[in-house]
Amino acid sequence: MSTPPVKLFRINTGSCNGCDVEFVATAFVDKFQISSMNVELVENVEESNLLVITGPLTSKSESFLKKYISKLKKPYAVVGVGTCSISCGIFRDSYSINGPIDKFIDVNVNVAGCPPRPESIAEGIAKGIKVLELKSEGEETPQKIEQILIGFEAPKKFRGRMSLNETICTACRTCETVCPSTAIKITKTQNGFIHNIWHNSCCYCGNCAFFCPTGAIYSTNNFDTVKLQNEKFSDLNTGIINLSTCSSCGESYMPPSSGLLGKAYIHNNLKKLNKSICSKCRKEENFKRMYA
Amino acid sequence: MSKQITIGPFHPELEESVYFKLEADENRVVTKVNVINGFIHRGMESLVTKKNFMQNLILTERVCSLCSNNHPFTYVLAAEKIAGVQIPLRAEALRVVADEVKRTASDLFNLSMLTHLAHEHDLMKDTLNTRELMQDLKESIWGNRMDMSVNQLTGVKYDLNDETVKTILDTATKVEERVLKLREDYNNSTSFKDKTVGVGVLPHKDALEIGVTGPVARGSGINNDVRVKAPYSLYAIRPELQPKVTLFEEGDVFARAMARFGDILEALRILKDVVSNLPDGKTYLEKRPHIPAGEAVVRTEAPRGELIYYLKTDGSQKPVRMRWKVPTFTNWEALKVMILGDKVDNVTMILNSIDPCISCTER
Repeated sequence: MSTPPVKLFRINTGSCNGCDVEFVATAFVDKFQISSMNVELVENVEESNLLVITGPLTSKSESFLKKYISKLKKPYAVVGVGTCSISCGIFRDSYSINGPIDKFIDVNVNVAGCPPRPESIAEGIAKGIKVLELKSEGEETPQKIEQILIGFEAPKKFRGRMSLNETICTACRTCETVCPSTAIKITKTQNGFIHNIWHNSCCYCGNCAFFCPTGAIYSTNNFDTVKLQNEKFSDLNTGIINLSTCSSCGESYMPPSSGLLGKAYIHNNLKKLNKSICSKCRKEENFKRMYA
Repeated sequence: MSKQITIGPFHPELEESVYFKLEADENRVVTKVNVINGFIHRGMESLVTKKNFMQNLILTERVCSLCSNNHPFTYVLAAEKIAGVQIPLRAEALRVVADEVKRTASDLFNLSMLTHLAHEHDLMKDTLNTRELMQDLKESIWGNRMDMSVNQLTGVKYDLNDETVKTILDTATKVEERVLKLREDYNNSTSFKDKTVGVGVLPHKDALEIGVTGPVARGSGINNDVRVKAPYSLYAIRPELQPKVTLFEEGDVFARAMARFGDILEALRILKDVVSNLPDGKTYLEKRPHIPAGEAVVRTEAPRGELIYYLKTDGSQKPVRMRWKVPTFTNWEALKVMILGDKVDNVTMILNSIDPCISCTER
């Protein structure tokens, strides 16, 4: 044994304890491979060189966090575990939240999830160790680190990264309304709408998928949420919802999706209904058909 | 000569941040206890009034991840009480299924932390591995290991079929076997008993005076389980489901651990009973209710004890006021009785024995 063990210290800055509980499970259950990583949990922050931080940073924790950070000796690496440590997530609008933690310390690795799977936490720690190794050799932090731990799978029903089926989305904004952590943003453009899901703010609750009237937004079982800090704001799922041109008057309009029509006209043949005309022309046509 | 000792706020043995300032004499016996709170205060009561009823289904879940099913459960009960909605019987049953699964996992986690702090590594690993069975079950059916996202106004978001019912029954049987074995191991381990018997004693009289709830009360010989005293949901419809709790008179750390074992076994019994007799019907009402102006108070039994929700609405899409009294709030006061006169080295273990949920209490 030549290399000394990596010394890990965990700080809870006000999390709901989900990440901390899962961290304990990661550390002590063998199947999550932490035991093979040469990591040691230490009692004092002075000895540590790998910091794991959870929570959105409450105002009372702030001064203590600063004090603990000042005791750290370089080189060290920081891993933020949980969505709220990255972007405060669901707690962002509160008066007593001073985070996210990257205002006060240079975070290297972010593990999104609410809470993340132990597999993801283990991966985050593995990447943190990698960053630490590079730092002690005096090298720069890379732009991307490939997946280190392999062979983990998620069950089919696991609520992982959200995704959008653009063809049946009508930009009705239900998902935006029910999302508790304001991870979804729909912007109107000239040609339609842009639907963004920010994975580093998402709390993976599946509320949007449950309430979506057409089933356009859905959760995949992909749990690849361990990213480096430079990917913090670019980790998005972007969907572009285009307007259609009315075949009769030439105006742009939002076509009703097949999903929505299927709900409204359960007994009818959808192909017959879904002529590409705007609602104004459809009304006119219906009027002519009935009264002309 | 007295000595000042501080523990925390960030300490590897503390699951959540809390700051102890203790005074101890030369034998390291605690003579004065001062606890400083507020590290997990996230302004939840203000946040819930800024979000609508749908968002609050998830936000209440994030009050605390260990009792993350009980919070939305109690919240929807309060909202449904205001709206005057009767939910389908199948939904009631499915809510109780999720609740008991969560209770088992939460209590198992507390026991593994207890053995961890008592430095009983083998017992800890066994308990944690038993909990993993429940975690895998939660992940395969509800999609997350901690936050199950089960409840919604007028029902539940998930449904069970024959296959998943079988998975639940298999897991429950497997866990039950292992829990019985674990209880025996805890009782047979002399080193574990040496560290926990007679430690952190909460006498019956003090327990009554402070008004402790949950397994802490059961460890001191008081049964005030809400599921029995004021049954709600399916526990009211099917009284035979109400748990037959195990009481202990000793009031020490060991008695509280044993009370938790009793809770787990009862939870598994209820779980098996409910999933084998699932009523047919819808899992939620298609029509979402309008929540009119009103007030409601609801209480349920969380893994840690009695949880009370107060909800006030004004007919808009957001609550006007939501307030909750959590089990740790009363159990916390008991700590001052438990820690006083005990060794400094036992403090974190005694703290763990009330299963503190600081994120619930400080929210």
